Amino acid sequence: MRSQVELLVLYQDILLMLDEAKHEDKCMGIEVEGVEKLKKALEEVAKDIQQRYIRMFERLKTRYSHPLVPVQEDTCLGCFSKLPTSYHERGRNDEGIFTCENCGRLLYWIE
Amino acid sequence: MNNGEFVSYFKEEFFIPKLKSKKKKAVLEELIQPLVNKKLIKSQKLVFETLLNRETLGSTGIGKQVAIPHCRTLAIPEICIVVGVSEVGIEFNASDGKDVQLFFLILGPPLDESNQYLPILGKLCERLRKKTFKDKLVKAESYEKFIKLLAKG
Ligand SMILES: [Zn+2]
Repeated sequence: MRSQVELLVLYQDILLMLDEAKHEDKCMGIEVEGVEKLKKALEEVAKDIQQRYIRMFERLKTRYSHPLVPVQEDTCLGCFSKLPTSYHERGRNDEGIFTCENCGRLLYWIE
Repeated sequence: MNNGEFVSYFKEEFFIPKLKSKKKKAVLEELIQPLVNKKLIKSQKLVFETLLNRETLGSTGIGKQVAIPHCRTLAIPEICIVVGVSEVGIEFNASDGKDVQLFFLILGPPLDESNQYLPILGKLCERLRKKTFKDKLVKAESYEKFIKLLAKG
């Protein structure tokens, strides 16, 4: 089972991939024909994410290009503020969804 | 990006001179493995799935028996490149239908401070489209020779 935060990572990764598809095709000559298929894959991932998190993600998307940011050394790499110690353990184990108290972005512990 | 910068992204510990895999999915997993061993990736499954999604967009087998599986993912903290060579070649839905012998796995974070992910990808694509370049690289007897060839272009 993929956790909600892992699904959000996939969701954001696919969005970025769709964004860069044109560049790959035009500037690097890598044929990109599967845009529609990938959009379907994105829908499939979205289906498994709770609606409230999708809404949160989309709301943040209006402010930030990357609503979901990595956490390294217990620091939000979106705004570089330290996260409360109470987050650390659960965050690292992908238990639940956490947002940065300072910038509001969604968080993914990469270590 | 100059040649020195370009080759600085390659590491001997991320060089697999003899890939064991025979199939597309398996080779992707094999290429990710060294990064998992070095604890650069927390979730192997997540990276694997993102790479498969990228292949949905179109095969990264760019022809001439070369593939550059790549993606940006939040699951990786820095740009990582893994090189793998398959003696026999692996079916990879490449654009020219040929089996792939030489693999360059490129992973980059979405927030790429140095902004080098696309330049690296571009540079590799450009060099690997040259006719005999792949043959030379595959025949390199050591990692050192491989990197020298790659740097020369
Ligand atoms: Zn923050």
